Amino acid sequence: MDLEREGGRGANQLRPLDCSRNVLNRAHGSGSCSHGETRVLAAVYGPKAGTKKNENPEKACLEVIWKPKIGQIGKADKEFEMILKRTLQNICLLTAHPNTTTSIIIQVVHDDGSLLPCAIHAACTALVDAGIPLKYLAVAICCCLVENGRIILDPNKMEEQRMKALVHLVFPSPVQSVLPEGSKEDGIITSLSHGVMTVDDYFQCVKHGRAAVAPLSNILTKKLQSQSPSNQSVAG
Amino acid sequence: MALNEKKFIETALLSDLRIDGRGPFDYRNVAIKFGREDGSSEVQLGQTHVMGFVTSQLVQPYRDRPNEGTLSIYTEFSPMADHSFEIGRPGVFAVELGRIVDRGLKASRAVDTESLCVVAGKWVWSIRIDLHILDNGGNLVDAANIAALVALLTFRRPDCTLGGDNDQEVIIHSPEVREPLPLIVHHLPVAITFAFIGSEGTVVIDPSNFEEAVMGGKLTATLNTNGDVCAIQKAGGDGVIQSVIMQCLRIASVKAADITNKIKKAVESYNTERALRKIKRHPDPVVDVSKGAGMRVRSLSIEMEKTRLKIEDRKVNRSDDMEIETHSSKKTGSRDPYSKGINGDELKASLASRAAATSVEKMDVLPSVKTQFTMIDKTPTEMDSTPSLQQTIEAGEQTIKVKTLMDAVKPKHRRKKKTYPNHDLS
Repeated sequence: MDLEREGGRGANQLRPLDCSRNVLNRAHGSGSCSHGETRVLAAVYGPKAGTKKNENPEKACLEVIWKPKIGQIGKADKEFEMILKRTLQNICLLTAHPNTTTSIIIQVVHDDGSLLPCAIHAACTALVDAGIPLKYLAVAICCCLVENGRIILDPNKMEEQRMKALVHLVFPSPVQSVLPEGSKEDGIITSLSHGVMTVDDYFQCVKHGRAAVAPLSNILTKKLQSQSPSNQSVAG
Repeated sequence: MALNEKKFIETALLSDLRIDGRGPFDYRNVAIKFGREDGSSEVQLGQTHVMGFVTSQLVQPYRDRPNEGTLSIYTEFSPMADHSFEIGRPGVFAVELGRIVDRGLKASRAVDTESLCVVAGKWVWSIRIDLHILDNGGNLVDAANIAALVALLTFRRPDCTLGGDNDQEVIIHSPEVREPLPLIVHHLPVAITFAFIGSEGTVVIDPSNFEEAVMGGKLTATLNTNGDVCAIQKAGGDGVIQSVIMQCLRIASVKAADITNKIKKAVESYNTERALRKIKRHPDPVVDVSKGAGMRVRSLSIEMEKTRLKIEDRKVNRSDDMEIETHSSKKTGSRDPYSKGINGDELKASLASRAAATSVEKMDVLPSVKTQFTMIDKTPTEMDSTPSLQQTIEAGEQTIKVKTLMDAVKPKHRRKKKTYPNHDLS
């Protein structure tokens, strides 16, 4: 059974990914990421002195603000904030700046499916631009389960709505990790699933997702490296 | 801001120098970009970055204005824009910005709210503008105003008709079925901001964020190219003599004309690009099935986009419809100046469609092609073409036919039809 996807994409083909750094002037770090038509803008301010209450002062604290395209922040947006915060807490070196708060602001520009992965990539780009120390980059992918049991990657909005189930996965980027080889840190950082799927299907999705990690992280690293470093001061 | 920085800015201004190299009455460069959907804009004014999104919804009207739609503006000072902006309830400056933009658009009747009425007293369109401030480089009001204007001009609201029992139900048509309609904007109110810096009261236009930090007072004038002053806002700050205010208004009118031109040019290029994008969607089979009609259909759709641009801010009149009729029926090689334009586009469109035929296309594009006819102007003269084309196109294709009131109206102007033998009237 051959799956007809819009634009003639194959089941394992991703949309063109584009990242750019330093798109804003006032923010300490900023990044914009687009997966096809989905576009997300991220800005980073920090580290600022002091942590929020109930946070561990021996580590840096992260604060994520998710701004939807239209309207006030809703429950789904709050959930994204929480997911993003926990994911980024994993990839940042929190012990480098204890007792500080770093704010990451995400603005959704256009949502055409696969929004969370796009936001994670934008946040990583912004953190790199701000110079916040990271252990590794995060690479995110969205895998969907179609009716006939096939798995497709990186759906757009129409496909997402027709899906039986979908799962968002975040993996650490395997290139240039700070930690020693063979550590536990090559597993799944985040997994968020919607809909009903069998355990086997889930592991199939993970397998397909993991296969896409290497090319994705190559693209991401290349995009981040190819841009000239900013030499602009952000005082005032 | 440090004291010596403040002194530096003020001293430089005494010799007509601004810290970013501009003259006191030089406006920064305005860059207008569009998003993927209709009604989304991104404006960059120097380092200031603002995004605007327009959406619409059917709601019940206010009791005291039962046949007018509503326009509401929501401003978000995102913490992305500045270190000091906080999330949560909009602060004083956010509210002030929202109010200035709101006054410019609503109170001056720039957007026609009466055309947004669907069923008087029951259903009207509510237009919502969301302005997101992404980067604070100074002068947020002007940038936000331009973003709101551009988004409103490129926004398309869904077409809706009355149906159901006793015509009280409103049926909203999706964009694939019926072409969405633009808003009627009568004029473009452009905001220009001036800052008063220093004890001598030096006036500068379009202050940057450093200048805003040292300024003593601010004046925002919202003007349009007709010479109307839509709004003036000077909330406290240093006192300014009348002659200075008059001078500011005079300069503002010049700058407003400039910015209005830029806005119009950008919106026009977006509209032509949008029309081309619609043409490219049409697959090759349409051309094969009904060659003559297909080409005419395409030319009509391009022509419709062009005329829609023109009729946007004036009332529909018969002459326009007659023009449309004329062009639809003449052969493509005619000497009519309009058709020449169409030919070029048609060639491009046919070439583009052939190139695009290899990619996967939707087969139910035909209804959109056909219904692009029926919607623009609700006058019976339009109807003459539709029955004929319906017959030619519908051959062998299942179409989602939406019956409207206009289908029931009989074509009246039969006499004029005699000069167009190509049309198959029955």
